[in-house]
Amino acid sequence: MADDVSRQQVSVQTLHLRQLRKRWQILALQVIATVALVWMYMEVISTYVIGYLDHTLVLDQLDKYLVGETKGEYAIPMADWLTGLGSDGMARVYMPITLGVVLGGGMALLSFQPPQRQQRIKFWLIIALIGLLIGRLLSSWLFGMLFSWEWRIPDQDEFNYLIWPISMLATLMVMGFYLLPVIMGSKGIWGLSRRGVAWAIGFTLFFLAIHAILTFPIIFSVLGSAGAYIPQFDAQVGEPTIWGLITPQQGSLILIAILMLIFMESAFGVIRYMEYAFRLPESCKKDPEYVRQMENILNHHLYHTVFFLGITGVSTMVALGFHTILLNLVAGMTGSQWAHQVSESIELQLTYGLVISALLFLLVVAAMRFIVPWQRISGFIEHITSRQRS
Amino acid sequence: MWTRKASFTFVGGIALLLVGMMISNHQLMIFGLSLIAFITVNSWLAGHGDVEVSRTLSADNLYKGDDLYVELVVTNRSLRRTQMLEVYDNIPHEMKLRTGLNSMRLNLGPGETARIRYSIRCPLRGHFSLGPVSLRFRNTFNLFMEEMYIPHHSDMIIFPQVTDIEEAYIKSRTPKMYTGATTLKNSGPGTEFYALREYVPGDPFKMINWKASAKTGDGTLIVNDTCRDAVTDVYILLDSRDVSRIGTVLKNPLENNTIAAASLASFFLKRRDSVAMAIYDEKLSYLQPDTGDKQYFKILSSLAGVAPKGNMPLQAVTNSLAPRFSRGSPVFILSSAEGDGTAPHAIRDLVGRGHEVVLLSPSSVDFERLVSRIPRMSYEVLKIERQNRMTALAGFGATVIDWMPDMELSQAMLQARGY
Repeated sequence: MADDVSRQQVSVQTLHLRQLRKRWQILALQVIATVALVWMYMEVISTYVIGYLDHTLVLDQLDKYLVGETKGEYAIPMADWLTGLGSDGMARVYMPITLGVVLGGGMALLSFQPPQRQQRIKFWLIIALIGLLIGRLLSSWLFGMLFSWEWRIPDQDEFNYLIWPISMLATLMVMGFYLLPVIMGSKGIWGLSRRGVAWAIGFTLFFLAIHAILTFPIIFSVLGSAGAYIPQFDAQVGEPTIWGLITPQQGSLILIAILMLIFMESAFGVIRYMEYAFRLPESCKKDPEYVRQMENILNHHLYHTVFFLGITGVSTMVALGFHTILLNLVAGMTGSQWAHQVSESIELQLTYGLVISALLFLLVVAAMRFIVPWQRISGFIEHITSRQRS
Repeated sequence: MWTRKASFTFVGGIALLLVGMMISNHQLMIFGLSLIAFITVNSWLAGHGDVEVSRTLSADNLYKGDDLYVELVVTNRSLRRTQMLEVYDNIPHEMKLRTGLNSMRLNLGPGETARIRYSIRCPLRGHFSLGPVSLRFRNTFNLFMEEMYIPHHSDMIIFPQVTDIEEAYIKSRTPKMYTGATTLKNSGPGTEFYALREYVPGDPFKMINWKASAKTGDGTLIVNDTCRDAVTDVYILLDSRDVSRIGTVLKNPLENNTIAAASLASFFLKRRDSVAMAIYDEKLSYLQPDTGDKQYFKILSSLAGVAPKGNMPLQAVTNSLAPRFSRGSPVFILSSAEGDGTAPHAIRDLVGRGHEVVLLSPSSVDFERLVSRIPRMSYEVLKIERQNRMTALAGFGATVIDWMPDMELSQAMLQARGY
């Protein structure tokens, strides 16, 4: 009987993190998460920020202040092609986003180094920053005192050496604040940090919440001239040009929501699977059964990311335009006074009608589960194809 | 069942929808609606636990401390994918995983099979059962979960350890009145022909003498009776009273006693002697003397299920069983001899009946010392009390062996010289 029980086997592919990290499914999920993050960020920027209160406006103010105060001697130390200053529209953010992703990736790479190396890199980074900040001032002042052989406080020329590092720091801080979701998100995705992903989502949601509060009519009226920097739009007003169901602005908002979900689910999914693999005992990491099942799970995560989040986006779109479908349907019925009245009802086109009809549609979608045996159909197809393959 | 994440997402969606409606902010409403749609669409995805499991064990019976290899085969017999399923094979908490893992996350397609292989160490004797198999379906995005289980069990018996005592037994001064098989010319289990007799239910078929049966003409079955090969019957009395639980789970008088009983039984049964065993706790259970592997299995099975309970005095045991004991046969008493004032009288009675009595007594004072700090003075007093008790029992004619916790059985047997 003892011979009946086979021992765990060893496969070439293992679930060690070094190998797992290079698996195409994991890389695909990470790339999907990164693309979703960048796309979401760009959608948020293009919808809410660009032209109103984007980073170039702040940097421009800083630049003007520096030029004015130093009579043109100093300006923002970073080149315009890096900050996006002087560019128009979304061109302002392409390079900063790239820098943000690279910085986040760098932070992730650092987090994978051995603790000693991490400490050493951080140490030298801090030393370099200190040197950058006060290095020139200190060297000029100390050498000045050494050559003149007297104790004195630094003079104005020497203090001016601080302008460049401080303005550099201010520029970096402004860009860092604007790029926080991208930096933290990239670090979260590639550095497997839940906190990083949570920061990216939290910051975006916080921004949207602040925007929603500030655009609330009572508060907006109090803002006065500052309100010019806050974009205010009514997503419902406009022609439903996308599939005849929703307006482009609604489409943009749905896209942000779906991209946020894709980013969140892909990034957290990778972390969850990596954690599971990490916790497995050594023998299981090498066991072909565990490797095969991990592959199954990862493949299905990819399918579900594409399929279910795609369907989520489509069903949200249809839900938002469902009142139009209903009204068209009722308008199509002739001969009834009720139908005529309902089709002209303005209430159904406003908020409550929209929400009620959208929820009605989602209720129908939920009930579809009991009507369409899609899991059985897909399982049957899979069964047939696997038999043919074998 | 909805997970916490799904609940928060749904409630968050509803909240955003309501807040959006209140402040006429369509962005919030759309976000809320997207979250609700996310939950709705994902509710389509339902996993199932309609899988077939079969468990193979490397052995159904094994000895304490041995490793057991387990293979759990999970097959999806349905025409649907299981979706992400966590399979967890429940193992008794007394057992420790040695290699592999008793759980796996899998996603089985129709007809697909997965094998979970692991090994466990069984540090405690007893009757155990592996299973049931717990299943937990989780949605890919961790929104819904459902827990199920498959009542698939595999029973097994962990026998006490059996140690080799042959060498110790030969070297010790324990009485050796049963040194090998000599025919007693009594009816009983053996190989040499003794007589013909009528078949009685329970006789093995191989004993039937077909020729002799045919000659009777009336269909009566006749069997060959054999001469009893065993030199003598060996009686083992095992103390399983509540007091024998003193010590740790792995080291206590009862555990030592079971090891001793199993080892003695193995030793004597190998020599083709008959071994009987009585276990006394709150009641008395008695296994009739017999020889062979079957008896060995019976003894080990009984020992596997022994648990400390009750407080039956030794004299009640000897009063009940002594009339059944064969004259002059050796009796092994495996007891710490604690909390039983009748022990000297019982031993005196047995010795008086002509039995060679060996008392193998795990030192309960020293076992207690493993779990609690006993002040030195108290320990010394208790130790002297115990030694006096042992000396008194030896004085009644028993061979007394004081068995310390860190001592092997074979070493303890050699100690028999001391009294």
